[in-house]
Amino acid sequence: MLKKDLISKSPVSKTIGIKNIKDGKFGAVLSRAGVGKTSFLVQIALTRLLNDEKILHISLDDPMEKINLRYKEGYSNLIDYIGYVDPQKTVRLWQDIKPNKVGISYTEATFDTGKIRDYLKSFKKADLALPSIMIIDGLNFDKDLSNILEELENLNREFSIFVWFSMKNHREEKLCDSGFPIQLETYKDKFGKAVLLHPVEDKIEAVVLKDGDRTDQRIKLDPSTMMIVE
Amino acid sequence: MIRDLERVRNIGISAHIDSGKTTLTERILFYTDKIHKINEVRGKDGTGAIMDSMELEKERGITIASAATYCEWNKHNINIIDTPGHVDFTVEVERSLRVLDGVVLILCSVSGVQSQSITVDQQMKRYKVPCIAYVNKCDRSGANPVKVSQQLKDKLGHNSVMMQLPIGLEDKHEGVIDLVAMKAYFFEGENGEEVVTKDIPDDMMEDAEIAREEMIDAVSLYSDDLTDAILEEKEIPEELIMQAVRTGTIARQMTPVFLGSAYKNKAVQPMMDAVINYLPSPLDIENEAIDLDNNEETVILESSFDKPTVALAFKLEDGQYGQLTYIRVYQGCINKGDTLINSRDGKKMKAGRLIRMHSAQMEEVEAIPAGHIGAMFGVDCASGDTFVSSKINYTMMAMHVMEPVISLSIVPKDNKAQINMSKALNRFTKEDPTFRTYVDHETGDTIIQGMGELHLEVYVERMKREYDAEVETGQPRVAYRETITRKALFNYTHKKQTGGAGQYGRVAGFVEPCEEEFEFVNKITGGRIPTQYIPACEKGFKGCMDKGPKLEFPVTGIKITIDDGAYHAVDSSEMAFQSAARGAFLEAYLKAKPVIKEPIMKVVIETPNEFQGGCMGLINQRRGIIQGSQEEGVMSVIESQVPLSDMFGFSTVLRSATQGKAQFTMEFSTYKQVPQSVSEEIARKKQEEKKEK
Repeated sequence: MLKKDLISKSPVSKTIGIKNIKDGKFGAVLSRAGVGKTSFLVQIALTRLLNDEKILHISLDDPMEKINLRYKEGYSNLIDYIGYVDPQKTVRLWQDIKPNKVGISYTEATFDTGKIRDYLKSFKKADLALPSIMIIDGLNFDKDLSNILEELENLNREFSIFVWFSMKNHREEKLCDSGFPIQLETYKDKFGKAVLLHPVEDKIEAVVLKDGDRTDQRIKLDPSTMMIVE
Repeated sequence: MIRDLERVRNIGISAHIDSGKTTLTERILFYTDKIHKINEVRGKDGTGAIMDSMELEKERGITIASAATYCEWNKHNINIIDTPGHVDFTVEVERSLRVLDGVVLILCSVSGVQSQSITVDQQMKRYKVPCIAYVNKCDRSGANPVKVSQQLKDKLGHNSVMMQLPIGLEDKHEGVIDLVAMKAYFFEGENGEEVVTKDIPDDMMEDAEIAREEMIDAVSLYSDDLTDAILEEKEIPEELIMQAVRTGTIARQMTPVFLGSAYKNKAVQPMMDAVINYLPSPLDIENEAIDLDNNEETVILESSFDKPTVALAFKLEDGQYGQLTYIRVYQGCINKGDTLINSRDGKKMKAGRLIRMHSAQMEEVEAIPAGHIGAMFGVDCASGDTFVSSKINYTMMAMHVMEPVISLSIVPKDNKAQINMSKALNRFTKEDPTFRTYVDHETGDTIIQGMGELHLEVYVERMKREYDAEVETGQPRVAYRETITRKALFNYTHKKQTGGAGQYGRVAGFVEPCEEEFEFVNKITGGRIPTQYIPACEKGFKGCMDKGPKLEFPVTGIKITIDDGAYHAVDSSEMAFQSAARGAFLEAYLKAKPVIKEPIMKVVIETPNEFQGGCMGLINQRRGIIQGSQEEGVMSVIESQVPLSDMFGFSTVLRSATQGKAQFTMEFSTYKQVPQSVSEEIARKKQEEKKEK
């Protein structure tokens, strides 16, 4: 029950929705620097963990300890948002879902899809359930990423793993005619889902740029917790 | 031994595996004229470093036992204990930290803070030992001492402050800049023994000034006078800076960082100056004891030679001349011939021969005064015992000792080996509280227990070499535990009333899971069970904890409450209630949904990046949970939690998967419930073993 409550109250449910969160290949969370891309991606990952699925979180920005801290914080924010929960239950649930999360930290120079392939292969070899989603946080979409995205598409096909990216755009850039930031426009055919976060007064507005009939959904979020502001 | 304690330093040298501790100690002994030739740890001539006196140490190139020695530097007496880095030998590090006043923490300038550095840091915290850091191997490709200093902050939470800058790194490493004296030091002579002081190179002056300013800023927190001098923009005397660093270091609020390359004989001497300048003397450390004659009140010990003697035995060694007991004297003085009392058992003993150790060589002395470390011959005691003079009855906190997690059966090859094996085991278990042995009553096998595969491997090898006792080893066994997962009631009557003296006792209550190993609560009212039989009930319950009813593993985490019962005026006895308690335990236990728990190990793998995916796969195959992976330069660090039962032979597998380039450390983390499939497998194996008998 607690798991279902947490998933339903998650900001992810209200924006992208949960049912088809893994359909397709790629998803992106876009914003300028410091607005909350990683925090939102963590909430996406938490909905999977609460559904007893494994996730893989790859960061090119944060060290491993920081990744783990973000997940702990994200989980606490979600718990606080739904109201009072027995603290022991909260702790037990976290102990249950935490092992299904694996964080890997790379630098831009050392990020290599070959290593990820080796790791995912080992799940098959050990007859274990594969992660259902992979978060890749910190790839620089101002550069040409065609090769990397192609390799990731292959991983998606081979291991049925949906990939969520963080995409940084810039204040001074104008949007394209389609209404997308240039970073998304360049690769829009590969992305089935995209959410743009931007500051509005003292809140963050999450705008669904791409997601079938949920396109143009707009939800206001608390910038410090990423929870929906009523 | 000098009596001016301000000029005494008792230090340990601790670090992760292969950081260069023993190499550094060899250089220290050379520069203080204790030895006249430097031998490398894995030297081509096979001699080995002086501190690695055990044959096995020299062969493997690892330090196993902690060797003690002393030297003099700059009119100070430095007692040094060189300690192992392998987590399997962590009891040696615990022992040393208990009795030392300061530590030199060695870090590799390439790998930085590694898993065992973290363990050592926790040990230093436990015993509140101040430290300085020495970033070693600055001659290596990829050396980055500034990054390592930052890691001290990020990973260990130290307030690390760079006290030096390197002059060149990697193959260009020539010397260091001292940011206090603002001078450059170079090291000349065949073994770097000549310290040449020069002006700072022009191209480094700007960096040096910036770094000095940062250092002074950080250090000014510990000296009002220094802060005033900064604000008044006066010239800052060296002594003022040094005093502030010393204050901050001894208070464990900062860690001064030095650097160099022990192997290339660079910048060891400045590090030794730092030991004297910044690590505490025995007078700077407050040592406490418990007064057993005064409600166990805490007393502060004084490093005074006139006060009643208090000393702690921290290490035992059984050698050809009998037992050698290493001691640290905290108060008073042990003179040859003194009578001392062991406060644990009240036994009196005479201090016969007193020794000062230098690795494996001994020097006889007349006394060991407060603040010093020495050894005594011919004293029968245990590690952790406190010795006092007759006027007082104090005891000091004993060491923290970890429970073994792995065991192995050993079978001597022949009769001669059997006798020698017993001698060997007697000695090793006395010296090392984490190494234990017992005889399995069912199989008759001798079982040895320890902290890891390497730990046991080393003792088996030592048995062969030192005692000529060759043994065959069986399959390693995991220390499983049983526990319950829910509350269950019991109401058991033990009755034998069929003529002659009868037995009667009834106990009722409940069992439930708890955090402690065992808890017994008496809630009997109205004399339903007479008070004299309550201890017997507790004894009966406790007796069942050694072998759980489920699969005969030791039981843990049970709270037993008795709240009802009955007795017979004639037939009730202690024995009857013990039996009643046993029956009650069995009755409730299986109803309480017992489960098996297994030891889970924290496994940290350091591997070249190209093998990262493969290593993570190896963990996956072992029911392991990867907590995360971090790339650090050319290496990846993978942290995971893996059941011990799946870790046997891992070193061989890892070696093959990574061309021998990866290494791992493993230490006990926690106990966790085993999955159903594993529980069934364990039960099946137990059945098979029983059938074989």
